[in-house]
This record gives sequence, structure tokens and C-alpha cells, in this order.
Amino acid sequence: MYTTIGVWVAALFTLAIYSFLYRENPLYRLGEHLVVGISMGYFIVVTYTQVLKPRLIDPIANDGEYILLIPALLGLLYITRFFPKIAWLSRYPMAFIMGTSMGVGFPLAMKASVLRQLEATILPLYQSGMPWHSVLGNVILVLGTLAALIYFFFSKPHKGPFFGTGSKIGIWVIMIGFGATFGFTVMGRISLLIGRIQFLLNDWLGLIN
Amino acid sequence: MKRTVPLMIVLVGGVLMIIQYFIPHQISQDIFDNYTIWVPIIGAFALILGVGSLSRLHGHKVRNKAPNWPYSLAVLVPMYLLPVFALLLPASVGGGMDPPGVYNFAYMHIQVPIQSTMFSLLAFYIASAAFRAFRAKSLLATLLLLTAVIVMMGQVPIGELLGSWFPKVGLWIIDFPNNAAKRAIGLGVGFGILATQLKIIFGVERNWLGGAGE
Amino acid sequence: MKENIWSRMLNLDRRWIFLCIGVVCIVPFFLPFGLPVIPTAHVISIFDYIENLGPENAIFISFDFDPGTDPENMPMAVAVMRHAFSRHIPVFFTANAPLAQGMLESGFAYVTNPDAQEYFHVVSWQEWAQYREQGITGRDELQAAWEADGNVLPENASGWVFEGRDFAKLGYLPYFALAILGMTSSIASQYPEDMNGNPLIDMPMLQEHKSLRDVDLATTFSGTAACMWWVTYAREKIGLPVAFGVTAVSATDYTIYIQSGQLVGQMGGLRGAAEYEVLLQNAGYVEKPDRAFIGMDVQNAAHLLIFFFILLGNIAYFAGGFHKKGVLLKGRR
Repeated sequence: MYTTIGVWVAALFTLAIYSFLYRENPLYRLGEHLVVGISMGYFIVVTYTQVLKPRLIDPIANDGEYILLIPALLGLLYITRFFPKIAWLSRYPMAFIMGTSMGVGFPLAMKASVLRQLEATILPLYQSGMPWHSVLGNVILVLGTLAALIYFFFSKPHKGPFFGTGSKIGIWVIMIGFGATFGFTVMGRISLLIGRIQFLLNDWLGLIN
Repeated sequence: MKRTVPLMIVLVGGVLMIIQYFIPHQISQDIFDNYTIWVPIIGAFALILGVGSLSRLHGHKVRNKAPNWPYSLAVLVPMYLLPVFALLLPASVGGGMDPPGVYNFAYMHIQVPIQSTMFSLLAFYIASAAFRAFRAKSLLATLLLLTAVIVMMGQVPIGELLGSWFPKVGLWIIDFPNNAAKRAIGLGVGFGILATQLKIIFGVERNWLGGAGE
Repeated sequence: MKENIWSRMLNLDRRWIFLCIGVVCIVPFFLPFGLPVIPTAHVISIFDYIENLGPENAIFISFDFDPGTDPENMPMAVAVMRHAFSRHIPVFFTANAPLAQGMLESGFAYVTNPDAQEYFHVVSWQEWAQYREQGITGRDELQAAWEADGNVLPENASGWVFEGRDFAKLGYLPYFALAILGMTSSIASQYPEDMNGNPLIDMPMLQEHKSLRDVDLATTFSGTAACMWWVTYAREKIGLPVAFGVTAVSATDYTIYIQSGQLVGQMGGLRGAAEYEVLLQNAGYVEKPDRAFIGMDVQNAAHLLIFFFILLGNIAYFAGGFHKKGVLLKGRR
């Protein structure tokens, strides 16, 4: 019974959202607002069960870990945001999180997004036994990366054999990259629709297996 | 107190955390471990900001009977009732977190279908865009269009049926020219992130302070 | 400019296009092509990596997506979960956002649903307490003892999964990137208890895999850039191998991390999930592929239609001479 009602309600809301394709309507708007309300309600419950209870309330109540009151008080300062006279106090927890997370992330982000990527671009263009399309690919990978970087380099005018030609090749490479992304985007968007149609035809109407 | 202290906290916290990464000592590790235990607790309270802001905005609409105010109830009612059902009420009246409770029902049978259907609307719009906006207007646009078509058809089994080279060329494009473009963009983004992190740590970038109680 | 067939075509009410795509995405479900999906190197590498793991290893399956990308990400996560459960590889389940925790619950329920044609039968932490008290915690001896006591695997079940031995549902934590970093030192310090309130520290899989350093692979299924947290905070800090399952939209952004050796492999969109399902079937783990594979039939038809739209749009654009005029005749709906 629970599942049947659930499937019917889900189907009703699925169709309500699709009705937007014809024109905007109250059912669509209701769905739009419900999403915000339910996700926030869900957020409150999960935050309590996953964080506040096991990491703050239980350790203080059962093990006397009063030191945890410090982060709790720091967190509570967020509330001051709603009282204009003392709203500046809400900057303290924000500053703590912001500063430390930036510091923690800095060396690792440098390694992951810059150093490793630079390292991977410095590669042998040819090795014995390598098929021609891989050699061509490696050449394009190395020169294409350089050219695209030149395109993004705005401190020099894009003129002359180096900056001019480089940036021109760079934009071609970037366009190919965007084309590949578009090709995949089509697939992604259709996949999402397929998922909902599978739900309607299978779970709701039972027309397909 | 209002601006300098938060900026000092950011500076000290940021520099300390960068330094601790390079000091593989037990004390440094203990500080770091405690820090990772504290952070989620602080973060959990940020929820208050979200709940407070939504309550204020929609509460105001309901009180003043603003246009379309009943929709605001669709935000406020589940936001406040779901925690009550999940955490306070017994299963006999639909409470608790497991099915067949109200909490689970709202997520599985209302939230999931609405949200995933909203995303799936994009399939219709991308089809419309393909017909009306995807033109071979210039050399660059043609290059983009051809790549998109090869990659798109290479991703589906029917592409292979049309020409066995479709998936092979599609994969080659992804692994080489696409990687060249994405790496250049990625490096730019990477440097940008690093620069922003340093700017925040050293107080050059202060927008995050906002205007709270100037 | 005079109105003609081309201008009328280009000014077509877009709701006709919506109708076309809707029809094309429904019909193939009733008239399936059944074309084969051939796995590619990026997906095979993940499958092979997991294929070489066993009960002494452990992996993470991180549900880092919300319901918006459920149709793309869920089949991937489900396929990897089935693979790991079949091989008795202990799995830690995490989520990077509150709504993602719901996806975790949903995916787990799908794989362990007794009403399904194939499923894994869950033995909860409480159900096998007496065996723990007797010191029986090894995977094979636990199953032997459990079955010796008269517990029979249902006919449609592919195997048992013991909570705390085969899986632990850790769930969501705020600032999840920092939680990943914290888990490089200790998983239990980040998650004192699991989503069901069971003490993690007592679980055999936690005792054998105390931190991410003792884990062999992290798989993240994501519709945003959050998947990169695993690379930045786990791969780069302690060298943890990472595999991605990402939406098609972002798939081309992360192939650079495969080339750089920072990723074991990647599943991109529904196609990636379908490839993994085919690999599972070929290896004999499942009788038939799941939803992603079936969806690929529809994907065929839809891609053909989009290709047709692009072609038709361009023909009308050039044949109608709009490339000279630059603008169309009237506003569009």
C-alpha cells in the first residue's frame, strides 16, 4: 500500500513538472516550492542524526567531552547574523572555516590541479611500438595545451608567429574541447529523461519490464 | 574586533594549516585531527542561516499575504514538519526515519521525482537548441559542430553500426584534443584557485566579510 | 524577407520539438533494438581493478550526487556495489551532502531489495551479534557459521552481506572535503557511529581498515566537481587510488586526470554505467544487465533525432538564406 501510494504520488509530481513544457502552471510551482522545503527539512534531520547527536551531544552527555563546547559556541555565533547590531560576530566562525580550509587545501590543490597536470603534459611524443594515431595524439596534446594556454594569455597582444598563430590554434583546440563536451551533454540530458520515462512506464504503469 | 580579528583568524588559521602540511610530527598531526573533528560541528550550525533566511522570507510572504503566498507554505510546512516526524513522533503516527514514515515518503516519493524530473526537462531544451541554435556559421562553429556530432554518435551503439570509426574517433578526440583544451582550462582554473586562496588568507580578498554590522 | 517554408520551419513552435523528443524516448522501450554496448578502456580499468580485490581489501563508494542526477549516477553506483558485494569486498558508503545520503539509502535499498529478481540479503549488525561474541568475524567462517545455524539463502538472492563485515553505511558529514582529509588519519574519528547508530569502532571491517591508508580504492559518483575532493584530499595526500562515475556533462572534463594517472578510470554518463553492467554480466555476476543498458536503446534513437535536428536546422538556415540576413522573421515560442 505504502509503495503503491508512493509510486502514484511520484508519478503525479513527475507529470506536474513536465506540464511546464506546455506552459507554467500552479502544479509546477507547487513542486518547485516543495523541493526547497523538503530538502531543508531533510537537511535538518540529517545534520542532527549525523553530526549534532553523535559528534556533539553524545560525547558531551556520555563522555564529558566539554571541549566540544568550543566549536559549538563558535558555530552558534552564526545566529548573530539575524541581529544587525552584533551580526559581525558571525564572521568569526566563517573566518575560522575559511582560513583553515584555504590553508589545508592550498598545497593539495597545487599538487592535484597544477603540478600533476603539468607533469602529465611533459610526455614522450613517440615510443617504439606506439601506433601513429597515439603519436599524433600526443603531439596534439602537448602543442594543443600550449596553444590553448597562449589563447588564455591576455598580457600580450595575440599577434605575430608565436602569440598570433599560437592563439589561433588554441581557439581551434578549445572549440574541439567544447564540441566534445556538447556531444556528451546531449547524452547526459537524454539520460535524465530516460530515467524518468523508465519510472513512468515501468514503476507506475507497469508497461515495460 | 569587527574586521581585523576575523582577518587575523583567517591569516593565522591559513598559514598554520599550510605549515602543518609540511611538518609530519605527531603534535602537528594531533592538531590537524582535532581540527577535522571540530569543523563539522561548526559547519552544522551554518544550517541555522539557511533555515532562518527561508523562514524570514516565506514567513514574511505568508504574514503579508503577498502574491502567491500559499506557495510559501509549501516551503515552510515540510521544512518544519519533517524534523518533527523524523525525530519526535512515533512510527504509529508516521514518525521515524524509515519507511513507511512521512520523512522517508517525502524524500523518496516527492523530492526525488520532482528534482530528477526538473533536471530531465533539459533534454527537451537541448533538442530545441540543436534545431535552432547549432549552426555551422563559421569555421570555428563548424569545428565545434562536427566534433559534437562525432562524439555524440560515437557514444551510442547505433553510431558503431553507422560506421565503426565513429566510437574510435570519438574516443581519440576525447583523449587527445579534448584533453589539451581541458588541461589548459584546468591549469588556468587551478592557478586561479591557488591565487584566490592566497588572497583570502592574506586578506587581499575580503568580500566574504559581507556587510554584516559594518 | 518573405515568409517561406524555411522560415516557417525555423519559427516552428518548440513544443513540437518537445513532442518529438518525448515520443522518441518512449517508443524504443516497446521496440528495443538490443544493440550491443562494447566496454571501453576507461571503464574496463575500474572493473579490472575491483576484480583483483577481495575480502581482505576495502573500497569506498561515495554517493556524491543528489536526486537531480539520479538516473545517470545511480546505475553506476549500483553496478559497482553489486560487483563489490559479489566479491565480498568490504564497502564503506559515504555521502557528500544531506540529499546525497538519501541517494545512498535509495541505492542500497535497490541492491538489497528482497522483491527484486536478483538481490543481496542483508544481515544486520544486531542479527549476527552472537557470532561476534564467539569471535567469528572472518568473512568465510562467518558465512559458514551463519548457514550452519539453518539460515538459508533465498533463491533469488545472490549472496549474504553482513553489516560491519561486508559494508558500513557512514553517510554524510558537512565540509565533506575535510572529512575525507580526516579519514586519511582515522575513519572512526570522523564517524563515531554509522547511519544506523551502530558503533563503528567495534566493526571488523573498521578494525582491519582504520583509515583511508588501509583502503584500496575510492569510487565517487558525482554530478558536480565534488568528485575532485577525493583526488585532491585523498589521492594527493596518501596516494589512495580513485575512480570516477560522473555525469556525461562533466565526463570530458576529467579525462585529463586519467591521462595524468590520478584516476584509475571513469564511467561517463549512462553509457559508462551500461558498460559496467555489461562487464558484470560477462563475468557472470548478474544474469542480465540493468536499467542503464536498457536505457541505451532509447539513447540510440534520441541521438539520431538530435543529429536529424542539427542537420535540418542547418539546411533550413542556409537554404533559407538566413546566414546572409542574420535574423529570423519573427519571435519564437
